[in-house]
Amino acid sequence: MVSDKIPPLISAQLNYLFAHSPFSIKVEQMWSGCKNATLLDHFTFVIPFCLEYIRWDVIYNALYPLAPPDVIFGPEDEHFRPYVSGGDSKNALTDWNSRDPSHLLALILELRDLYRDYQMKRVGEVNDERLKFEISTMLSREGIEMCMTSGLDKPEEVKFAVPLLGMDLNKMVVGSTWRHQQKIYLQVIYPVGRKYSTTPSAPRLKLVSSPELKSWFSVEDSRLPSWVDGMCMAEYLPNLEEMLENQIKDAVALIEVRRKFITALAPLFGRPIEADPVFCRKVSFLCASGTFTFLVHFSLPLQFPKQQPALVLQSSQHFNYQNVPIKSNLVNEYPWSPRWETSEMAERNFDFLAEECLNFKRYCSEIMLQQR
Amino acid sequence: MDDVPVHKIQISGPTLASLLHRFSSSPGALHGLLFGHVSISTSSSLSDDPSSASSSVPQPSSTDATTPLLTATITSFLSLPSHLPLPLQSLPNPPSSSASLIGWFSGRRRTPLRPSLNDSTTTHTLSSSTSLSFTPKYSTNQPLSLPPSLFLLLTSPLQDQLIHTHEYKAFQYRISTDSFDPKSLDIINIGPSFRSHYDSFSPNSSFPLIPCELRSSNAMAEDEKRETLGTLKKGLKDQKELNMWAEGFEIGRLNRLMGSESASYTAEVEDLYSKMLAKLDGLTRLVEKSSAKVLEQEHHNMKLRLKVAGLE
Repeated sequence: MVSDKIPPLISAQLNYLFAHSPFSIKVEQMWSGCKNATLLDHFTFVIPFCLEYIRWDVIYNALYPLAPPDVIFGPEDEHFRPYVSGGDSKNALTDWNSRDPSHLLALILELRDLYRDYQMKRVGEVNDERLKFEISTMLSREGIEMCMTSGLDKPEEVKFAVPLLGMDLNKMVVGSTWRHQQKIYLQVIYPVGRKYSTTPSAPRLKLVSSPELKSWFSVEDSRLPSWVDGMCMAEYLPNLEEMLENQIKDAVALIEVRRKFITALAPLFGRPIEADPVFCRKVSFLCASGTFTFLVHFSLPLQFPKQQPALVLQSSQHFNYQNVPIKSNLVNEYPWSPRWETSEMAERNFDFLAEECLNFKRYCSEIMLQQR
Repeated sequence: MDDVPVHKIQISGPTLASLLHRFSSSPGALHGLLFGHVSISTSSSLSDDPSSASSSVPQPSSTDATTPLLTATITSFLSLPSHLPLPLQSLPNPPSSSASLIGWFSGRRRTPLRPSLNDSTTTHTLSSSTSLSFTPKYSTNQPLSLPPSLFLLLTSPLQDQLIHTHEYKAFQYRISTDSFDPKSLDIINIGPSFRSHYDSFSPNSSFPLIPCELRSSNAMAEDEKRETLGTLKKGLKDQKELNMWAEGFEIGRLNRLMGSESASYTAEVEDLYSKMLAKLDGLTRLVEKSSAKVLEQEHHNMKLRLKVAGLE
């Protein structure tokens, strides 16, 4: 990502930022501000905020890399002016040191905190009784973020990112290698109330999780409790959290079920070539039927064992004209019952594959014939 | 200090052109100070020129009768690379009335045309400093005190383009509302549509006053001579400098262009002219040499800079 045309001092700061940021920050664009456009010193950072992304341009000067960078905020944030009030107060720019690679990250984190405060202040100024009440009950939640969205053609709305569940999800899964803290949020969008409307309209609700969580728990699959007219967040959230907590416990238990299934496959198929040891979603075996050797890839759905694993066969002997091994289509219709014992599931899978591989061998030979 | 809205900002074509040239020829970003004056304009000019009438005051009646209509004129600027601090300490104190500090500018290539973090902090600092505020011209009824609140932003498009090479936007920072109000930048050129400017022209030359009084035998003047040694020396130095430039063009010589000696008039003029050319030639050579030296030093500085940046 970081090319060699970035001056070393600046590139050290970028690398430090990518490696140590508590949330994922990306550089969307980089370009040069020099006259002869050889050194890259302008960067557009994409920073997650309130389940959306904000884009900030960080402007370095490649010719004077010891000078502190400048930041240009988004066009909709023209009134966000950090560091303006309080003349002699210290901030991340006053004691800037380009030789210390941690300074850029410190600057971005400090500005993001100020930006959160700025948005919170803006939301607090909205004249809406219902909103004021909802904020007062949710404000104590650690890590809550909110922002105002308004456009010329859009009605004013207030967005909340409400962190759910106090538990540390990273510790729930044994052996997880997540770098960032995993979290589930409820996105709540309130339309700003008009003075004359009597019944406040229901907020728009959506569950959002950090992207890495999807390999283990899918928020899209959990149905939100319904919102009753006249309800408030303080009533709604406890129910939702209880529901999610149960679902997460189930998800943890399901990892073990999948692990058992994979272990049960091993005596029949031999030692797996590759297996996902953390979430137990994938496993591959090398098999032989007579002289025909092939690979079987098992993908275990999150709903396993209610849903059967999807299989893909891959030949070790047949290649297409691009020298890519020939693969079968996704096979997920074969005899299956979630009520079977794990060992029976494995045996039935083995029996099915013993027959299916012959079909696959024929399929491979046909392709090979067509290529001649 | 008053937070009064500026009605419009004017800049002469050559000044803006020279500012843009400075920006496009600088290796990196630059910033600097804007000097000029602010005048309180009388209400709508009664001009028969239709072009000036169209651009006249929008609605003087709707604005509060007590708020004066201010017109800021940028007459000169001072620029330096943006990693160096703005030279606010070296400003004349008290500020001269002809060219006060009225704002600052920032030029950075390939960036969006909106104030950055640094732009807003610097503008805020300038606008809130009482020591830098100045009094606009012709403020008679109520004494106004204005801070240097103008901000001119120069950028270039994100992608290099052949025709569209520059962008600029002028703002006035209003400390009461904490906002950058975009202002139109009127470019003053010569021509019929700029006739109204002839009235508002005020000669303000920064040429130093050199005391070169005529030596008279007036006894009164002799009495008044109570010069200290310092001023005497300075006067002598100034005189010497003036003499150097007038060398070869003494008054006595000019006499020869008149009267009996005017027969050799042409030869004399030609002689004077060739001497003048020789002088100019010497001067350009000096400039050339010093420019080469500046360039050499600039290259050397760039090398050192790249060494510091670890880019060798």
